[in-house]
Amino acid sequence: MSLSRLISTAWRENLLFSVLVELTYRCNLDCFFCYNDLGLRGEPMQRDEYFRLFADLQEMEVLNLTLSGGEPLAHPDFLVLGARARQLGFVVRIKSNGHALRGELARRIRDEIDPFLIETSLHGATAATHDRQTRVPGSFDRLLANLAEMRRLGLRVKINSTLTAWNEGEIEGMFALADSLGIPLQVDPEVTPRDDGDREPLQVAPSREGVLRLFRLQFERGRAAAGAAAEVARGGDDGTMPAPVHKHCGAGSSGIAIDPYGNVYPCVQWRRPVGNLHRQSIREIWRRSAGLAEVRELTGHVKEMVDAQGSGSHLLNFCPGSAAAQAGSPLALYPAAEQRRELLEQVMAEEAGRPLLPVVR
Amino acid sequence: MSSITLSTVFRRRSDVRYRRIEGEAVVLRQSAAEVLVLNEVGASVLDLADGERSVGEWIEALRSEYDADPETLTHDVLTFAGELEEAGMLEVVAP
Repeated sequence: MSLSRLISTAWRENLLFSVLVELTYRCNLDCFFCYNDLGLRGEPMQRDEYFRLFADLQEMEVLNLTLSGGEPLAHPDFLVLGARARQLGFVVRIKSNGHALRGELARRIRDEIDPFLIETSLHGATAATHDRQTRVPGSFDRLLANLAEMRRLGLRVKINSTLTAWNEGEIEGMFALADSLGIPLQVDPEVTPRDDGDREPLQVAPSREGVLRLFRLQFERGRAAAGAAAEVARGGDDGTMPAPVHKHCGAGSSGIAIDPYGNVYPCVQWRRPVGNLHRQSIREIWRRSAGLAEVRELTGHVKEMVDAQGSGSHLLNFCPGSAAAQAGSPLALYPAAEQRRELLEQVMAEEAGRPLLPVVR
Repeated sequence: MSSITLSTVFRRRSDVRYRRIEGEAVVLRQSAAEVLVLNEVGASVLDLADGERSVGEWIEALRSEYDADPETLTHDVLTFAGELEEAGMLEVVAP
């Protein structure tokens, strides 16, 4: 059986496979467009609750455990929790801004957590742009130094970036920078509202021309490899495209997200609470949550809606969580998805007209 | 690849992570970022490679779990152990 078919099985049979844990919303940067709901209040999860959660997840045969935030390294128990995750055999990923990933802490992460991957954030190709977005002077230079150090330590690193109006003019430079570091860069062309619905981050949403420029660049870079469209189209868990299944995605079916206060969501982008770990175990929530049952049913309806959009529907990269945040319903098409399809179709048409070999006259 | 006998003891390499989905195993070798999918018997072998039980003990355990011809099972397990070792999933604790 292939991996894609196994992921389809997980979606179909509701087998929890990937969990993202937001340990804290504290952060040592102050990114203008951060999506976290910093006004959210609740009782923070305690160390023993995380231990219980991780033990349950191990018994549930969860493979992927992502430690995120905020800045997860800012959680006082980060190393303890990471080491426990390693001990329990999870594939551990860390989503960090990279600002504190250096020296003794970086070495301890390697030795005590042995993460499969550390995902860091780059916001521009220059200090002026990066630091403008993080609102912390010196953060660009420090990130570059830390990335080089992580590579020297043998940590597996990836760079994530969100395309914004402030950095869209530097996108080629950002890829060149990542290439020079030998680290893959993944760019999300979409700025989203905050998790509390605040639309302020959309003030720095990239322009249409900026998104088009990114897509052209991604196709150009992917031309040597087959399937450039796959680089920008939606994948399943860990980028693997699942075999055909009756759900649009694995939100609430093979994956969940947990905030620092124990609230459980179907996905990091779909902030629809389906339970709380202070009151119920993850096993109980997974089996009995009426909210999760609704989400699983909804992902089926989302697939029907997306499929009805025609042959280019996969180019929408439709996300029910984004739809809920931006259009008020997980079933509503939202402008960024429609723009994405339109621009990808344009770039694909340009690619189709490109000669396979240079014409020599 | 080492010479594998019934007394060989293997353990999973420290960078190997795996979980079962409906009996089968998704296996990730972290250092190489390689993903393998093993069938139910293969997943059982991975479970058994705990650094304590010998290949002979694996075969006994598998015989009680699966209705297989002993000779064929022995041959297949020895071969499979070698393949897993070669793929960097297992390492020898005792020859």
